[in-house]
Amino acid sequence: MPYSEAFKDHLTNPRNAGELADANAVAEETNPVCGDRLRLSLRVVDGSIEVARFLAYGCPPTLACGSVLTEMIQGKSVEEARQLTRADLLNALGGLPSHKQHAAALAVETLRTTLESGCSGLLSW
Amino acid sequence: MSSTRRVYLDHSATTPADPRVVAAMMPYLTERFGNASSVHFFGQEARGAVDRARREVAGLIGARSNEIVFLSGGTEANNLAIRGLCEAVEPHGRHIITSSIEHSSVRGICEALEKRGWEITRLPAYEDGIVKVEDVRSSLRTDTVLISVMLANNEIGTIQPIQEIAALIRQERAQGCKHLWLHTDAVQAAGRIPIEVEQLGCDLLSLSAHKLYAPKGAGALYVRRGVRISGQNVGGHQERERRAGTEAVPGIVAFGTAARIADEELSVRNSHTAGLRERLESTVAERVPDIVFNGHPDRRLSHISNISFRFIEGQSLLISLDLEGIAVSTGSACSSGTLEPSPVIRALGRNDELARGSIRFSFGKDNTVADVGYLVDVLSRVAEKLRSLSPLNPKAMASRRFPQTVGRD
Repeated sequence: MPYSEAFKDHLTNPRNAGELADANAVAEETNPVCGDRLRLSLRVVDGSIEVARFLAYGCPPTLACGSVLTEMIQGKSVEEARQLTRADLLNALGGLPSHKQHAAALAVETLRTTLESGCSGLLSW
Repeated sequence: MSSTRRVYLDHSATTPADPRVVAAMMPYLTERFGNASSVHFFGQEARGAVDRARREVAGLIGARSNEIVFLSGGTEANNLAIRGLCEAVEPHGRHIITSSIEHSSVRGICEALEKRGWEITRLPAYEDGIVKVEDVRSSLRTDTVLISVMLANNEIGTIQPIQEIAALIRQERAQGCKHLWLHTDAVQAAGRIPIEVEQLGCDLLSLSAHKLYAPKGAGALYVRRGVRISGQNVGGHQERERRAGTEAVPGIVAFGTAARIADEELSVRNSHTAGLRERLESTVAERVPDIVFNGHPDRRLSHISNISFRFIEGQSLLISLDLEGIAVSTGSACSSGTLEPSPVIRALGRNDELARGSIRFSFGKDNTVADVGYLVDVLSRVAEKLRSLSPLNPKAMASRRFPQTVGRD
């Protein structure tokens, strides 16, 4: 099994799963090649991410990346969240096999789209 | 969390070697090490063992000993059957009829031949996963030389109408089509349903040892007497010029022993796995919503159950079960970032979501009722959790929060 303990933990006990009813930034991205999906909903207050929730469909790395992403961005400012990279996610999960790293790319892309959706819709940011 | 309990439900992938089989092969790894082609005592001892194994394997399918060619496994058997026959009969035509649910080895060989100018007709398997004889009839052409349809499917277990296809071929031959042959891949079926090649009417039939509680590395091709194939391994006289190379005596002995035991225990094993499967399917249907059973309900092998779980991707379910000690398989694959929903489940007309969410459970002779209970408990819990994460699940989308997940506000 190439997966780390951190990875297995996120898969077995996903953090922050669900959909926020009072989100002010929401986006869903699909990997056009493999069909995996990630949906993020955030509640942003005074420029910082107060609550983050995710939904994911796809291979295990997509699920684990969604889970670890919400854990990493909750409590962070929007600016800090923008700086998050694929490598940060991979480190937090103890690495992924090279052919599964596209899951981290999907997570980062979904985060950026979600933050954009919030920026354009919410002048208070 | 990780668990020490291990439940193996992937017997269509491979089976553990039976201790009786291992005991029979051991002497041929040690003191009886001769080369079966050597004329001295050591060689003849090995030759005798290979001959006995050949009778045992022939016995499993009602063939004559000299119709059995020992090989390395099922994939080689399919390669030798299709390539070997096609090369031998090429002057008479270059058209093959096969099905859309064949094992990847048959699919791969057909694709390779297609690149070399052969024409391939792939028959539909419809919603129940069974090929129609009428489709074979309507696909026949004057240049058709081979029909290759599996005896039972490896993912959904459906049993194909090989006897009826053979009857059709006999009619065609009676009308003058002398160069039309029938191959069937019986790797999953052998030892699980009774096979009599005379009754079945095929010309070539593939077998694999490790699906029958023998080790990996041995297989066989049945070649009906009078059918000519071109050997693909050349440079030796072994296996009546059809497969050059020193016989892998220990594996062959194991295969023979496993075939004999499978023949003797066939009905006991069948009723055992059928009972476990029935228990699985009825309890899963009660406890897990939004599932679809794949394949014909009756015309299938007794040990395979294939279920699609809506809103869930098969790899995620597989890994989640594996983390709880349960081994199953999925036909879908996510490799190199490429989506590959199970081609077999797609061929049943299922959409991509159902094809991606399909799981195969395959029972063996040593599984127990307690295994099924453990499986269903874990499966219902894991499926519910994965669905609570799924953006395809309307309930997950509507809900704000899930109590079974950890989080901080």
